Amino acid sequence: MSKWRLKFSKTGMGKYISHLDLLRTFTRAIHRANLPVRYSQGFNPHQLITFSLPLALGVTSETEFVDIDFEDTISPREIGEALNRTLPPDIKIKRISRPEVSANDIVSARYIIDLSVREGVEKSKVEAFFEQESIPALKKTKKGEKEVNLRDFIIECEVEEVDGKDIKLNTVLSAGGSANVKPDLVLSKLAEFLGISEYSEMNIHRTEIFFNNGKEIKNFY
Amino acid sequence: MSVYKIKFEAALKRIQKPGRYVGNEFNSVHKENFGELIKFAFCFPDVYEVGMSHLGMKILYHMMNDREDTVCERVFAPWVDMEAEMRKDEIPLLSMESYVPVKDFDIVGFTLQYEMSYSNVVNMLDLAEIPLRSAERKGNDPFVCAGGPCAYNGEPLADIVDFFILGEGEEVNNEILDAYKEWKASGQARVGYLERIAKIEGVYVPSFYDVEYNDDNTVKSVVPNRECAPAKIKKRIVKELDNSYILDKMIVPFMDIVHDRITLEVFRGCIRGCRFCQAGYLYRPVREHSVDKLVETAQKLIDNTGYEEMSLSSLSTSDFTCLQELIDRLLPITVDKRINLSLPSLRVDNFSMELMEKVQAVKKSGLTFAPEAGTQRLRDVINKNVLEEDLLRTAGIAFDGGYNRIKLYFMIGLPTETMEDVEGIAELAEKVIGVFYQIPKEIRKGRSVTVTVSTSSFVPKPFTPFQWEPQNRMETLVEKQDFLKERIKTRNISYNWHRSHVSFLEAVFAKGDRRLSEVLIAAHKKGCRFDGWDEHFSYEKWMEAFRECGIDPEFYAYRRIDHSEVLPWDHIDIGVSKAFLMKEHDKAYTEQTTPSCREGCAGCGAASFGGGVCFE
Repeated sequence: MSKWRLKFSKTGMGKYISHLDLLRTFTRAIHRANLPVRYSQGFNPHQLITFSLPLALGVTSETEFVDIDFEDTISPREIGEALNRTLPPDIKIKRISRPEVSANDIVSARYIIDLSVREGVEKSKVEAFFEQESIPALKKTKKGEKEVNLRDFIIECEVEEVDGKDIKLNTVLSAGGSANVKPDLVLSKLAEFLGISEYSEMNIHRTEIFFNNGKEIKNFY
Repeated sequence: MSVYKIKFEAALKRIQKPGRYVGNEFNSVHKENFGELIKFAFCFPDVYEVGMSHLGMKILYHMMNDREDTVCERVFAPWVDMEAEMRKDEIPLLSMESYVPVKDFDIVGFTLQYEMSYSNVVNMLDLAEIPLRSAERKGNDPFVCAGGPCAYNGEPLADIVDFFILGEGEEVNNEILDAYKEWKASGQARVGYLERIAKIEGVYVPSFYDVEYNDDNTVKSVVPNRECAPAKIKKRIVKELDNSYILDKMIVPFMDIVHDRITLEVFRGCIRGCRFCQAGYLYRPVREHSVDKLVETAQKLIDNTGYEEMSLSSLSTSDFTCLQELIDRLLPITVDKRINLSLPSLRVDNFSMELMEKVQAVKKSGLTFAPEAGTQRLRDVINKNVLEEDLLRTAGIAFDGGYNRIKLYFMIGLPTETMEDVEGIAELAEKVIGVFYQIPKEIRKGRSVTVTVSTSSFVPKPFTPFQWEPQNRMETLVEKQDFLKERIKTRNISYNWHRSHVSFLEAVFAKGDRRLSEVLIAAHKKGCRFDGWDEHFSYEKWMEAFRECGIDPEFYAYRRIDHSEVLPWDHIDIGVSKAFLMKEHDKAYTEQTTPSCREGCAGCGAASFGGGVCFE
């Protein structure tokens, strides 16, 4: 077994590195670090790299995961040190361990969201949005658009603070293979509900990823 | 921290491809003592993906940043969606690394790679809130300079740019930075800096020259109006490439850019002398890197970038004298690290399958060749010393080697071209297909073959033997394209062509004089930008701008110029003499070819630089 799971953060302007570009970024950082990575077989061999859960463009995170196959000649400490030298400054490897749980079992993720609006908003109004039974929304899928009840994708939401023109949310949204929603969609529906055209500021930060081990929901690792 | 950063970041959330604007890539340079340094803004007048693919920018960016007293930051043209946000939120043009307004830099340098980017130069100055005309810039405004191939005839930008840098920048850029420091310390007025650098070889300050015109609108004279300005401005070259600045690191972008790979420059210049090709004359004489230096540099670039592809770059890579040795020494490194070697710009007369087999060990993509003209007569006129037999032989080798897609590049509208020559393009493509079907079915690789024929429209360029030639009228070019479309009968050939409106404007600005500066500003006011992008090019707006300025664009593109006429760029010396260009022009009409620099010196004048192929 030569597969390692790397936990990393993606902060600052790193939020504008798209999912596809992130793969290229890791591939090249591994190349620069001269690490003994393993390649796929076949006509066009590529490094064996798999991200556990894609992160939407524009979102920062302190808890991302990527699985990479290395030869056994290298220790996790060496991998971490080398990559932190060759990755761009906005990506940092935080921990390396053997993958024990499957990314297929990921069910949700927590986001801390800071919003600013131009007009003052009442806390009760923001809470009222999340208390609705049904939030009809058009969700983009691979085939096109589909009408869904967004409420089914919002597992938890606490309106932590509404201070004049600033809103702070702490929310857990469905994530992973079976049901997934981008925080953007929830926020655009909230804006519609509040009757505003756009937020003057919007910062979304992913803090936790959860998986279901068949018995309970736990932090992914 | 820049006050604009917050606004700029907020705008990023409302636009496509924010990755174009965020920077922070691996190997980008961020200097902490920014305020104390000479600040150079390196502007590429196109989007990030295009600009980041350009080797010259990579070299000068790292070279200037290697100086302790200087900071060089990048600036690209914001795409139209970002421009709209910036104008709405009153964000001026910012540098990529520090988010500092471009107008706060000391020197703002543009690279001019193609004429159709001129409107972006003007638009970027406007976004930067820098006065558009050099005469309007005062005290604290930055100096605006420009370099690159189009700077050799930068006259259309003469009223906009403070100074041009002609030739290779490795030495002269350092000299203008040194001069800046001296000038700053001297406390002299703005013009004092320009007077200092006008004495540096390769620097051209257009406002130090007066242009007079004849009654027929042709140029009468270009005369310096102060003592520091030389009558002729000679381009700069680096005599010994190995001893010059060696680029051993490159910024590695996050997003996919046009040329997303290591560019290993093997030599500069070209030995060939195709009569339409401006680069072939501008970059003379040919100077090569040594194989030792190239291998050493390649290793460093691989280690410092992590790229998975490396391209051996030059104007004609198969003309590199030690190509075989270079590849033999590079392969052990690249194979081991799974790096693909690619070889652009191959010629059909020295193509070797063995070489191709080596470099493209994995992927069998298509091959591209540029016969440029459809008949031997016309190929002799343009001095493209390629024979039909060479092309067919090469096609045969490629098909045997398992390739079954070939791209052929041609030009239409070349001097002396007849419909027979145009028809020759279709015939040549058919002959290439014929070569494939001559191979017995049993040993043929692949079921069918595709030949893609692309034609661009000939644009006469300054500093070439064809600088005196008129361009074909747009109607004629379209007629020739339509004729060729009809002549192509088999489904194995597909045909691409260029819009002739763009080629016309390219000719106008390539051969233009400084009266076009006002046209550029007028076109900018009408919203012209990104003219190299089909979806933004508006021929109508350009024509309105010409009408308003009372200038006839056809004067520049369609007029046959007499050898005795003063050309708007006659005061620029690229090292190739006008007499040589005239001789080559005459030889074109008698269909005589000129051998390459290695077969025999034709006496172009570039030997005056004292280096390169002239002394091999």
